[in-house]
Amino acid sequence: MNKKTTSDSGRPSSSTSGLGLRKLRGGISNVAMLAYALVTLYPLFWLFMSAFKTNDEFFSRPFQFPAHWQWDNFKRAWEVSDMGLAMFNSIVVTIGALVLTLVAGALAAYVLSRFQFRLKLAVMGLFLLGMLIPIHSTLVPLFILMNKVHLLNTYWALILPYVAFELPIAIFIVQAYMNTFPKDIEEAAMIDGTGYWGIFRRIMLPLSLPALSTVAILAFLRYWNEFSFALVFISKPALKTLPLSLSMFSTGYMTDYKLTMAALAISVVPTIIVYLIFQKHIMQGMIAGAVKG
Amino acid sequence: MTSTSRMKSFIVLGLLPALLLFVIFVMIPIIWSAYYGLFDWKGIGSAKFIGLGNYLEAIQDPIFWLSFKNNMLVVVASVFGQVPIALILALLLLKNHWFHSFIRSSVFMPMVLSSVVVGIIWGYIYHPEIGILNFLLDSLGLGSWKKLWLADPGISMYSLMVPIIWNYIGPYLIIFIAALQNIPGEIDDAAKIDGVQGSRKLFSITLPMIWDTIKVVIVLCISGSLKAFDLIYIMTGGGPAHSTEVLASYMYNNTFSIYRFGYGSAVSTTIIILSLILIAGSQYLMKKDYR
Repeated sequence: MNKKTTSDSGRPSSSTSGLGLRKLRGGISNVAMLAYALVTLYPLFWLFMSAFKTNDEFFSRPFQFPAHWQWDNFKRAWEVSDMGLAMFNSIVVTIGALVLTLVAGALAAYVLSRFQFRLKLAVMGLFLLGMLIPIHSTLVPLFILMNKVHLLNTYWALILPYVAFELPIAIFIVQAYMNTFPKDIEEAAMIDGTGYWGIFRRIMLPLSLPALSTVAILAFLRYWNEFSFALVFISKPALKTLPLSLSMFSTGYMTDYKLTMAALAISVVPTIIVYLIFQKHIMQGMIAGAVKG
Repeated sequence: MTSTSRMKSFIVLGLLPALLLFVIFVMIPIIWSAYYGLFDWKGIGSAKFIGLGNYLEAIQDPIFWLSFKNNMLVVVASVFGQVPIALILALLLLKNHWFHSFIRSSVFMPMVLSSVVVGIIWGYIYHPEIGILNFLLDSLGLGSWKKLWLADPGISMYSLMVPIIWNYIGPYLIIFIAALQNIPGEIDDAAKIDGVQGSRKLFSITLPMIWDTIKVVIVLCISGSLKAFDLIYIMTGGGPAHSTEVLASYMYNNTFSIYRFGYGSAVSTTIIILSLILIAGSQYLMKKDYR
């Protein structure tokens, strides 16, 4: 279905054919593009429309706007699914993991970008290897580990592995950025008697703010949305994060479509806001992370 | 303290938090799973050493091979679905004006959604009675095309491919656009002077110019599609009748549904080895020059 909308306009508009033809072709391609974008956005649009409907409308008039906008759905979904609690848990885990990622990542990036030492290549190779490892293949051994150290059903069971898996990307993004700083900045500071920690805190951290914010945005999305670790390491209802509680809620309330849709809609809003504000950062960061891996 | 020892201690202290976290929560679990894979172990009680018994069992389990086949299907569908769609879109979305940016943003959007949300939405789209896909087919008079999209073992795996492809096109699109925008303008001018245009220009100038990027994207696509788990778990859980089982869900179901931790560990190790082989293999193939 997706292919159909695009393949008929697969050729880039040529420049020497007649102006009318070119315009026509550009027009066709734009219409095809628009159709593709709408197909892409439609599931999300449909989610928000359905969130305002009654259960009956949900399947009797799936493509129409709601006859009466049921704002009440959101209130009920929030209460029934105990979303406040899930939101709180997600916020705690996300912020905790973010702080740890930024501190440990920036520090390691500074060392790897500015110092020469014997095992440097080995350390960098180790982190690189980490990017290749499929995250799910560690579910079983991590579960065993968490069980042994009694971290199952704690925030730490999520925070620590989240950080560990995000660190390689974080380090590579920040290190690449720090590599572009001229050496003179630190040399001047050294002469002034500032130590390494001082240089890190007062010079490197503020200067790397753009890279750090990219890392923070990417990590936010990753942590906020993460599902499989939460699924395996958290079974206590009081500690469920948003994605986990949504998946449970949707299974339990499978037939109460409007509530499920409203709950999904609420959960999607923060990520969409972040996306709309930081689009450029997110796109560039995801690509930098992906290409390095 | 001398300046070199101060530097040394800073290097150690600076790397320590990141290294510790990474080694404890990424590297050690991998080694552990290789170790536990050699035992018959229920998660509690004593573990019995059985050598390569778990691996032999996996090799003889048809469901293991079905999961492997499905995993490869996802890889193939991603490479032949995502890469061409992303490339075609990129060729059409080169300009930086608002309309093209809007479409790029829309295509990228699913990347920031939780796979739980994506999975539940598509679950409803495919739902046999209330799903909008069957509703749409009905209202178009194509009622005979209606299917049990996710409940029919014959087609469920293919139904899953659509959301998987839909979800992850964004980054490849952006990579292709960046590569296309990097083609120097003089080459365009030269082509114009020589009268090269249309598909000939596409195949003899544009595509060769970004061939390296295409290779990178294919490798990314392969390693990315090996990670497919969340969406599949949410939408089908590997069912019906194991028809949508991939290696990760096979491992999950064996470990956390029937508590065979030793066997699950062995499958985990197999997944790591298989993905490293696949990534290394694809990198190697891609490094060879086809031009």
